[in-house]
Amino acid sequence: MSDPLIRIEGIAKRFAARDGTSSTVFENVHFGIEQGEFVCLIGHSGCGKTTILNILAGLEPASDGYVFVGGREIRGPSLDRAVIFQSHALMPWMTAFGNIAFAVTSRWPEWDRARLRDHCQKYIDLVNLTGAEKKRPAELSGGMKQRVGIARALAIQPKMMLMDEPFSALDALTRGMLQEEVLRICAETRQTAFMITHDVDEAILLADKIILMTNGPEAKIAEIVVNTLPRSRSRHTLHKEPHYYPIRNHLVDFLVSRSKQFNESLPADYDPKNPPLVSPGLSGAVPAAAAVPPRPVEKAVVVNLRH
Amino acid sequence: MSAFNDPFNPDVKLGCGCGRHQDQAEHDAASAHTGDTEALASRAVDQAVMRALFPNDGTRRRFLKAVGANTALAAVAQFFPLAAAREAFAQGKGQIEKPNLKVGFIPITCATPIIMSQPMGYFGRAGLNVDVVKTAGWAVIRDKTLNKEYDAAHMLSPMPLAITLGVGSSPIPYTMPAVENINGQAITLAIKHKDRRDPRSWKGFKFAVPFDYSMHNYLLRYFVAQHGLDPDRDIQIRAVPPPEMVANLRADNLDGFLAPDPMNQRAVYDGVGYIHTLTKDIWEGHPCCAFAASKEFVTKLPNTYRALLKAIMEATAFASKAENRKQIAEAIAPANYLNQPVTVVEQVLTGTYADGLGNVRKVPNRIDFDPFPWHSFAIWILTQMKRWGQIKGDVDYARVAREVFLATDATRLMKEVGMKPPATTSKKFAVMGKEFDPAKPDAYLASFAIKRTA
Amino acid sequence: MKGVQYWGAPLLSVALLLAFLAIWHAATRPETGTRVVDAEYAKLVGAEAATGQKSAFPTPAEVGRKLWGHITDPFYDKGPNDKGIGIQLAFSIARVLIGYLLAALVAIPIGFLIGMSPLVYRAFDPFIQVLKPISPLAWMPLALFTLQDSGVSAIFVIFICSVWPMLINTAFGVASVRREWLNVAKTLEVGHLRRAFRVILPAAAPTIMTGMRISIGIAWLVIVAAEMLVGGTGIGYFVWNEWNNLSIANIISGILAIGLVGMVLDLSLARLTRLVTFPE
Repeated sequence: MSDPLIRIEGIAKRFAARDGTSSTVFENVHFGIEQGEFVCLIGHSGCGKTTILNILAGLEPASDGYVFVGGREIRGPSLDRAVIFQSHALMPWMTAFGNIAFAVTSRWPEWDRARLRDHCQKYIDLVNLTGAEKKRPAELSGGMKQRVGIARALAIQPKMMLMDEPFSALDALTRGMLQEEVLRICAETRQTAFMITHDVDEAILLADKIILMTNGPEAKIAEIVVNTLPRSRSRHTLHKEPHYYPIRNHLVDFLVSRSKQFNESLPADYDPKNPPLVSPGLSGAVPAAAAVPPRPVEKAVVVNLRH
Repeated sequence: MSAFNDPFNPDVKLGCGCGRHQDQAEHDAASAHTGDTEALASRAVDQAVMRALFPNDGTRRRFLKAVGANTALAAVAQFFPLAAAREAFAQGKGQIEKPNLKVGFIPITCATPIIMSQPMGYFGRAGLNVDVVKTAGWAVIRDKTLNKEYDAAHMLSPMPLAITLGVGSSPIPYTMPAVENINGQAITLAIKHKDRRDPRSWKGFKFAVPFDYSMHNYLLRYFVAQHGLDPDRDIQIRAVPPPEMVANLRADNLDGFLAPDPMNQRAVYDGVGYIHTLTKDIWEGHPCCAFAASKEFVTKLPNTYRALLKAIMEATAFASKAENRKQIAEAIAPANYLNQPVTVVEQVLTGTYADGLGNVRKVPNRIDFDPFPWHSFAIWILTQMKRWGQIKGDVDYARVAREVFLATDATRLMKEVGMKPPATTSKKFAVMGKEFDPAKPDAYLASFAIKRTA
Repeated sequence: MKGVQYWGAPLLSVALLLAFLAIWHAATRPETGTRVVDAEYAKLVGAEAATGQKSAFPTPAEVGRKLWGHITDPFYDKGPNDKGIGIQLAFSIARVLIGYLLAALVAIPIGFLIGMSPLVYRAFDPFIQVLKPISPLAWMPLALFTLQDSGVSAIFVIFICSVWPMLINTAFGVASVRREWLNVAKTLEVGHLRRAFRVILPAAAPTIMTGMRISIGIAWLVIVAAEMLVGGTGIGYFVWNEWNNLSIANIISGILAIGLVGMVLDLSLARLTRLVTFPE
């Protein structure tokens, strides 16, 4: 079995308390992300979602464990992994174009002006911001700012995109539009993506796999839900898919009750290195180790439902 | 040795370095095969010094006759260390080494000879281009002179003594080749005290003097002590820069001051004070301010020093004549110098003045100008410094006086500008009727009841 | 209604000024004294002293005349101790700018270092805390003694008084650059210099400029006092020289000039601050 693009092995985050003891936010987290895959992480606040993303980005060190990208252990942040921040994190003293160009020159410092401009313009057009290049972030709406953030991340053509609840600060209408846009862009560019959210519908709309985390402290991955909906999804027709409600109910049920109880009633065969892979609406929980290897299964399902 | 004429012989005409030849070229040709010895060279420099000092043979002869050939050599050696002279002459042959000078002054009438030398052209005629720079206070003038921002400065006559002794600053050899003025100060009281003229009623008064090391401080202390008040316990004495005194008197921060003019007269002019006592009535003929320069300036730039001192001497001679005083008042009153109404300066210089109580007084020698730095003045000042605890331990009064108060230079230059210097450098005088004998400073000091000596 | 809004404030300002001048005029009207002195005495003293009064505060008209004199002939030069108010102001402004720019050259890089490294911050902090509250003029005697030059000392005093607000504000501005902007720079693998100039500097610029604006105000306050102390040239010397002459009218002219120049300096720094400020 070939290595996935991103492999997370046993990462943990602990904080030393004043009295010498240490508190564990999460530990023993293992999962992988395949090339071109869109993975969502869902969990309640305090389970360390953002910390996991920061560790993947290289912005924060893990207390334990390793992260491999393309078979190599990461050491700090890299242009390979672009981050879209929750609060857009645009530099307010630069224009929309300037923000994107800043990222692009970081990636390709040797590019001349014309090439830089063409490249940036391409991504501005991609996120439908044509005409707003010269505006500063303060002159843009929340949705437009986040589009600039997305364009900035995509423009450096990273191996993967890391998104930390990118739409949580937006109103519902804008959020919906942006979700569809991200869906379209990822489909067009075959972009590998990892996204944190606590919006169940967002996860179902965007993700190929949904990682469910139990509540902290000592949070862990409870299971990984395989999204069996066809890839050509749309917000408006999502609820008409046959597997939509089983998946949604499964996720909501997890968030409402199981996320709390999971730690207390750990299944006997629970293996943190191979968290159970489930496909609600297909065959129920499939213990990952017992079933066919995860990748073929997922691929089969996807292929199955797409065609 | 007889090949060289004695330069200290008043009857020799100096044609060349040795006097044997008609001019320097002939001398050079001759000495080329004479072979110089050290002694010959030394005498040649002596001659060169004399020639440089007195290019005019007549002047040189008069000087040697007046001072006496024996003392002249010693005088020249003191004033002109020969090593420095050799260097100076090697460069410029008696030329002024540094024609552009800065001389600091405090805007008071004591500085009259220094200030007037600029508008009235004394510096220019001496071949100097001097900027006289107004300065905010005595501490600043001291620091700027020590910093060499100023080449020479108007100082209070005790200051060169204090600087040389290292009192209130790091010790630096200082010289005072000329006193600028005598008399010319006064005790001024606030107009509200016009009925409290008896000094014994001044307990608790706040007085100002221009500086701790000033004649004003010593005279005020002397004056109140003679009236039975202890200047450290019965009254307060503060150092206030002269320009700020009238403003403080007006604002009731002071009850009075012993200050240089024009501050006393200005207080009268503005109706805020009256003149209580002129210092000439405390000590007739006391020195006040002085022209001072560092020993370094005197030795490194001897020709410049001489030209500068001579210009000031000439100005002093002019100022000492009463009929010239009105003209001087007009020259030094404008904003560039004293920045005072002309009438105020005129009243100070002419001695016909309003006393602040409605009377016009006529005291022609209210201020006078006499450059001679009596060694006995220095000794008196040193006794007072000791009396009030500014210097501790034993003081070699006579030596300090001799080193700082350059009486020999003054004698010579006074004659050159047509003044009559005294024959001795020390004299007895009386302060408020009490005689001072410069030969017995310790006995004088011991005779005071109020003093701070251990 | 619109006219009132537009003209109301300026009209009120003018009215306030006129009221102030009227009160001033009324308060300084010369009193007629009762004491009589003879004519010869009267010639020797000021007009007030001749009638038994103290010299009075000048009337607005007297000040106006002096002021007009300074405005119409600001650049005369009648010797080293008597120069026009324009020349004196130029001396002061030059001293302030030299000391201030030197302070900026020192304070901004050091402030950067302090702001970026908590270690350096803790190392510098005790010195800053001790040196900051020292009145700049207290340095003057020390400066005169060590630097041996009054002009350089005045510049040093300006330097030392303007360095602290800039240093502290730079450190604060740099230390409080938003974490997320730094994270963006990190994920883009931006180099140290580029991060300093393209991210931290613009982000901290408004705070730094605020410090610079505080500094220029302090520097202008201090130069006047410093020049009163060392004399020579400058607007502080001008005021001191006129104090020496007890010319209140000239002192008021000097004060007005000081105020106007201070305002211009502050406004230009405010304008610069607006240029680097970004809305969020």
